[in-house]
Amino acid sequence: MGSNIYSASLSGMNAAQYGLATTQHNIANASTPGYTRQQMVVTARTSQATGAGFVGQGVDVGSVVRIYDAFLTTQVRQEQSQASYLSTYLSSMQQIDNLVADPTTGVSPAMQDFFNAMSGVANTPESVPARQTVLSAAQAAVNRFQAMDQRLSDISNGLTGQIAGSVQMVNTYATQIAALNGNIKSSLSMSQGQQPNDLMDQRDQLVNQLSKEITVSVQQQSDGSMSVFVGNGQALVIDEKAMGLQVVQSPVDPSKVEIAYLNNGKTTSLQQSSLQGGSLGAYLTFRDQSLEPARNALGRVALGFAASINQQNQSGQDLNGVMGTSLLNSAVPRVDNGVNNTGTASVTAAITNVSALTTSDYQLRFDGASYTMTRLSDNVVTHLGATLLPAPTVDGVTVNLASGVMAAGDSFLIRPTANAARDIALTTSDPTRIATALPFRGAAAIRATNLANITTVASGAITASAVTVAGTTPSSATFTVDGKTLVTSTVAAGATGALTTAAGLDAAWPAFATANPGYTLTGTFALGTAQISKPGGAAITLAETLTTGTGATVTPFSAAGVGFIGITPGSTASKIAGITVATPANANVANPVAITFTSPTTYTVTGAVPAVVGAQTYTAPNISYNGWTMQLNAAPAAGDVFNVAANSGTAKVTSGAYNLNPVSISFTSATAYSVVEMRGVPPAPVTLGSGLIPPAVGGSSTVSYNGWTAQITGVPAIGDTFNVSKGTNAGTMLVTGAGTNAGAGAISGGALSVQPFAIMFNNPATSYTVSGATPAVVGSVPYTAGQDISYNGWTMQVTGTPVAGDVFNAGSNTSASGDNRNALLMAALQNQNLMINGTSSLQSAYSQLVGLIGSKSSELSVTSMAQDTMLNQTISVQQSVSGVNLDEEAANLMRYQKAYQAAAKAMEIANTMFDSLLSLGR
Amino acid sequence: MRISSNTIFDSNVAALNQQQARLLQTQQQIASGKRLLSASTDPIAATRSLDITQADASNTQQAANRDAARHTLSLAESTLQSVTSLIQDVRTATVYAGNGSLNDSDRSTLATNLSGRLQELIGLANSTDGTGNYLFSGFQSKTQPFVDTPAGMGYFGDDGQRMAQVGSGRQMAANDGGADVFMRIKNGNGTFVTQSSAGNSGGGVIGAGALADPALVTGNNYSVSFSVLAGTTSYSVTNTTTGLPVAGMTAQPFVSGQAISFDGMRFDIQGAPGDGDSFTIAPSTNESVFKTIADLITTLNTPVVGANLTNGLRLGLNNLDNALDTVLNVRSTLGLRLAEIDALQVAGENLGVQFKQTLSQLQDTDYNKAISDLTQQQTTLEATQQSFVKVTGLSLFNYM
Repeated sequence: MGSNIYSASLSGMNAAQYGLATTQHNIANASTPGYTRQQMVVTARTSQATGAGFVGQGVDVGSVVRIYDAFLTTQVRQEQSQASYLSTYLSSMQQIDNLVADPTTGVSPAMQDFFNAMSGVANTPESVPARQTVLSAAQAAVNRFQAMDQRLSDISNGLTGQIAGSVQMVNTYATQIAALNGNIKSSLSMSQGQQPNDLMDQRDQLVNQLSKEITVSVQQQSDGSMSVFVGNGQALVIDEKAMGLQVVQSPVDPSKVEIAYLNNGKTTSLQQSSLQGGSLGAYLTFRDQSLEPARNALGRVALGFAASINQQNQSGQDLNGVMGTSLLNSAVPRVDNGVNNTGTASVTAAITNVSALTTSDYQLRFDGASYTMTRLSDNVVTHLGATLLPAPTVDGVTVNLASGVMAAGDSFLIRPTANAARDIALTTSDPTRIATALPFRGAAAIRATNLANITTVASGAITASAVTVAGTTPSSATFTVDGKTLVTSTVAAGATGALTTAAGLDAAWPAFATANPGYTLTGTFALGTAQISKPGGAAITLAETLTTGTGATVTPFSAAGVGFIGITPGSTASKIAGITVATPANANVANPVAITFTSPTTYTVTGAVPAVVGAQTYTAPNISYNGWTMQLNAAPAAGDVFNVAANSGTAKVTSGAYNLNPVSISFTSATAYSVVEMRGVPPAPVTLGSGLIPPAVGGSSTVSYNGWTAQITGVPAIGDTFNVSKGTNAGTMLVTGAGTNAGAGAISGGALSVQPFAIMFNNPATSYTVSGATPAVVGSVPYTAGQDISYNGWTMQVTGTPVAGDVFNAGSNTSASGDNRNALLMAALQNQNLMINGTSSLQSAYSQLVGLIGSKSSELSVTSMAQDTMLNQTISVQQSVSGVNLDEEAANLMRYQKAYQAAAKAMEIANTMFDSLLSLGR
Repeated sequence: MRISSNTIFDSNVAALNQQQARLLQTQQQIASGKRLLSASTDPIAATRSLDITQADASNTQQAANRDAARHTLSLAESTLQSVTSLIQDVRTATVYAGNGSLNDSDRSTLATNLSGRLQELIGLANSTDGTGNYLFSGFQSKTQPFVDTPAGMGYFGDDGQRMAQVGSGRQMAANDGGADVFMRIKNGNGTFVTQSSAGNSGGGVIGAGALADPALVTGNNYSVSFSVLAGTTSYSVTNTTTGLPVAGMTAQPFVSGQAISFDGMRFDIQGAPGDGDSFTIAPSTNESVFKTIADLITTLNTPVVGANLTNGLRLGLNNLDNALDTVLNVRSTLGLRLAEIDALQVAGENLGVQFKQTLSQLQDTDYNKAISDLTQQQTTLEATQQSFVKVTGLSLFNYM
């Protein structure tokens, strides 16, 4: 009985001691990261059965357990992974966020300054200092692009280091976890099933740290070890063995790194989509979704800037009188061979359409039978067929198989705009090379007339005018020639009858001819062969004026031939086919010159400088003095006079531009083609002409319109179409065959060479003839005021009223230092929609970049803050279960202290009882 | 619910961190004056402010373009003002030369005077803008526009007009080609020009004439020849282009001052033409003002025979008036353009103010809001800090 008290008290003191030790352990580790509070588990000893009831035997300490909730711990780890991902992504984004949007230091103000300087040059094109300002502004813009690209590049390089560091951490943690697994297993076996709480806390803490780097999932094994999995189920730690991650060069893009999983010496690349979460996932996502697209977008703006300025400069003429060159270096797309390629192919790419560029990278693949081009931003695949000829173009990038052969499985990464901002550079320092002028100008210098010709009016079958229903008052008809009365006929009231008759006209003629010398009638009206002619070059108007009596019905005079009532003949019968003016124009080109023919082969000249005396011999068809050359279209006769004098109309050439409208050459048979130009706004088809090519295989034929010349070779099929359009090279048009062509024809060339031409207005000035056009224009072209006059690739407009004989010539623009037309066009590029398929200007394309970065950063800062709040809440819930509360521990201290004291007191009482028992026998 | 001691500390620290970050951002906004510290603060406002900055810069550049255009237009205007007064002076001298009391040597002196004025006119037409660019050369600003050649005054510039971008979407011609001002002047009455022939001995003076019926005009040359037979003067009109006589105009009796009209033209001859005198009628062509003055000089230098002085002076006056009209026309377009530039200047300034206002609204800190935010955040931070100290000071160990 007494022994019970001893052992029970002893057990109580023991338990209190354990309790105090555990409480002290908790208090000491209150701030240890990852510490789970521990608690003592005590059970009452089995009671002893006695006749007077069960007597308790004391208390046993079972174990010390940690208060741990596996579910909450997992939740914290997942939130931790996500929070770490978002905050790492946010801080990376903030690096580029600060870079792009400043309105005073970004790329925008540099581009604005350039266009402002260009506008300044347009005010004083001959001023060299103004041109120098343009070059300096261009250099500043180039520097800004390069600086921004350098910063992005530095961030990218830094990222590689950060990724490597993160992978290093992952591997370290994995090793440590594996070691702890071993420790825990041996501790478990040594302690016969008691949990090594602190070791397990340490292992949980390590897994928590690991989850900040990469998303993990864990599995608790029955032997106490913990298996850790990453990505799509790759095991990082199994038992005591740790596999590792490695940074490897990406097989697709040699400039980037990828994460690979190392197992037994074998490396497998990890899919990036499986690495969402943790800092590592954040670095990779930031690099691929934000940094590289930002770099591509910046490069696209740089390309648009350089390409558009180059093209416009090449369309103009510089201060030295030669066609402009390119001012800026336009970068070539970057092509990387795939690391695992086995073929010998070498691929190059070129930008052919800046407007169609996207910010994505592309992958060209060959699977053994056909080629495909994949746009990597949205994985849209374009099938290119079995061959890369003719060179295909996808989104403005043309891919060329430069040499070699591709093997199945080969891939090439094409980055069209990645290097553009880095490689942009100013290629000239000569301010005279800015092409402010246009190479052509139109002028109205001279007027050529041929005044000794005859205008004739032909007749045909005649129907007389007549009164068919009698009226109550007389009816009359007056027939006039050029307003001069030929004959007047009357029908009395109440009578019907003919008014103007053919016989009456014939009878009245002699009197008319006497009164109006110069008018000649050959043939007769009665026979329908009448021809009236007069000298002078003006048209003859015939008219009949009817006075209808009251109540009468009169049918008017009519004739079926050309040129009768109310119709003035269109033909002027001028013998001048055309006249061209040499450029630069001779100073005396507008000096009045009269050429009088004394016989069909000889003429005299007055007004030529230097003076020409005596009879000259005429050799058909040209006559040339004072810098102009006149062509005659008919044999001259004695008495013909040709006058050249200064232009006396009020018309002048007001504008002109290159005509680079798209032209399509369509084959209507195997040898015949028709040429159609899309002209105007909105574009409408205009047929330029047609032609034939030789049917022989291997022949070639030259097609030349609008100043360009192309060659078509081979044998096209019916329906084949070849297109000529404005390319990025200003000296050559882009010539391509349509993809649907079935024949074996091909088109090449497209070189632009604009030649002077001249137009001369006919009499009346509603049509004109053209000299010097290629292809040659035969006959008259109708003219309406203000219309485009377009030949040889040059379009001009004439305003004012041209007079018959006025000549307008388009020729080269020499010594035009004050011409600012191209400078105005270059300054206007600022607001033109050059980018993104004609929907954005340069500034808008850059603003898109800024908006993308800004909104992503903004979104990330909000979600990151929300995630942090979420994480804190989860942690506090977990801590509410597993965390140490110092006040609680203080209370426990007091409790166990009291328990110890009580147990000790109980032992003392037992001692006293025993002493009493021992003192009984004395 | 249980709270662990760590949670008390951690959650308070997190709150302090957040508040400090907010406070710092507000303070930065106040210090820099910019609400948009980075694009993420307000992405839409950031892109919009880039666009407006560009529009504002364009507006400013257009103001510079307007100044440049105004400079050249004003220079041209003042030059043409001198030209106008010069032509008026020549006109006055021409009228004076018709004074019957002058003799040949007086007229010779006048002719010398006019020579000097002609040189002055050439100089004005060749004036530059002070930097070596000719005002009236069109695009060929380094080439002297007017040069005397054996065939007469030649124009070596071109018709190009240099446009200036004076407003968004508005291009204005900043110069005028010399041909329009000095060369393309129609002589006579605009349709035809009447002249007396060089060999005339009589006293007939032909008037300038007028257009009677445009439809009947042939554009041919005509000649009116007089014959005096037994005291009766008669004339005939021949179409010299066709060689044929004009209908109804053969051997017509001549009455001084009576209108002669044919082929849509009407004119009169006054005085007493001599036997064999003739007058020519030709379609109007472009005659430069220089040629007009040169012809006047020749007329003044020719000894008076019959009415040749009167005819020559009358023709010269007529053409001078045409030249004056042309110059005044050009001056009025210059004036209109200058006035438009002033109007655009006002509009441009208003637009600039508006842009800057919008930009300020987007970008700049609203100081009232920012300072009140700062005060509020400051108060909150202080409260958090004090409560933190209070709460963490509570512990059971203090009482044991």
